[in-house]
Amino acid sequence: MDGAHDLGGRQGFGPVDVNEPEAPFHADWEGRMWAIARTTGQPDWTIDWWRHVRELIDPVDYLSRPYFDSWAQTQIAAFIDSGVLTLEEAISGTAGGPPQEPPPAPTVDEVVAAVPKLATRFDRSIDAPPAFSIGQSVLTVSAGHGGHTRLPQYARGRPGVIHAHHGAHIMPDKSAAGREEAEHLYSVAFEAKALWPEANRRDKVFLDLWESYLEPAG
Amino acid sequence: MASFDSAKVAEIHRQLHAHLPSESALRVKALESLLVEKGMVKSENLDAWVEAYSDEVGPKRGAHVVAKAWCDPDFRARLLSDAASAIDELGYLGNATAHLKAVENTDQVHNLVVCTLCSCYPFSLLGIAPNWYKTAAYRSRAVRDPRGVLAEFGVALNEDVAVHVWDSTAELRYLVVPQQPAGTEDLSEAELAKLVTRNAMIGTERDLSARPKGGV
Repeated sequence: MDGAHDLGGRQGFGPVDVNEPEAPFHADWEGRMWAIARTTGQPDWTIDWWRHVRELIDPVDYLSRPYFDSWAQTQIAAFIDSGVLTLEEAISGTAGGPPQEPPPAPTVDEVVAAVPKLATRFDRSIDAPPAFSIGQSVLTVSAGHGGHTRLPQYARGRPGVIHAHHGAHIMPDKSAAGREEAEHLYSVAFEAKALWPEANRRDKVFLDLWESYLEPAG
Repeated sequence: MASFDSAKVAEIHRQLHAHLPSESALRVKALESLLVEKGMVKSENLDAWVEAYSDEVGPKRGAHVVAKAWCDPDFRARLLSDAASAIDELGYLGNATAHLKAVENTDQVHNLVVCTLCSCYPFSLLGIAPNWYKTAAYRSRAVRDPRGVLAEFGVALNEDVAVHVWDSTAELRYLVVPQQPAGTEDLSEAELAKLVTRNAMIGTERDLSARPKGGV
């Protein structure tokens, strides 16, 4: 969707705050929200669905509220959508039913030890051979759509060159709609000048793009 | 079960916008107490996750990887060809790094990593992303005005250096391998790791010899 989240190349946001504290979380609630999101996701939620739920936040809220606040609203909305919480429960902060016993909490060492198990792979084996080869010139498609996509507006209808092929990966546009299908994934190099005329002629921007985002050039 | 219905979720967001408390801390507190009440999580569980990823799983892991690449040419070659396998050798594979790519700075190329569409970040290797990485200012400008962004971080590039910006649009994640500062050839791997900063591994710092005091 062409939402407020698609920020590449948008202008007017001002300088980057390069002097913020290096602490991972700047408030207690930020860390708690991050941990809630990491530990309470539902089995049928995909990373793409979760991102799409976040993109669907009102654009004014998306751009103006704190980062981890958008995680809270995403998690709450996804819970309500899945029937895990009701809207009334989310608003009141109180569950409708009797209290349930939570699963035992791990220790810090157990959380650290479990990190390697969380290295989720997104590549899949498919029969179709890759349509493009390294060094080939391609053109990105110019049309977007109302669902989730990972082809940003700034890189649509632009010429690039296949820089690398990564096999087939789960296709986010489909995954966010509840279907797991895989497509060949490529890193595509764009001359920065092909994206923005004011860019330095030496610079390049690389995006990781699925096959159906690409057409042969010329 | 998730509906995968955009219109339904957009309407839920409108309801939440109208009815949730405005203050973020209150929203999260209410959510946590609700999930505890429903038996979905223990507060101690959240404590353990925050502590683990604030300290043990953080940029010191990435710094170790970079320092090892500086010291060990074979490891460097493996890191550049298959970064996920290379970090797995050190036990650092984890969330968001199963498809890790390492991109190396040279005299001619400076690499910069961004996620314009959300906030993708190799957090099992670099920890929690800095807040600036997740802001509209960085996400909008890193691809269009990378030299302006780098200047704000104090990075001065020679005229002949090309900037390569990596927009993390898929499940690949990027680790920038900064250049080893001159005159540090005699340092141990552990000493070198102290020179490697989080920002250097994102690409918003370049010359690690210019840093008055190192460490992540």
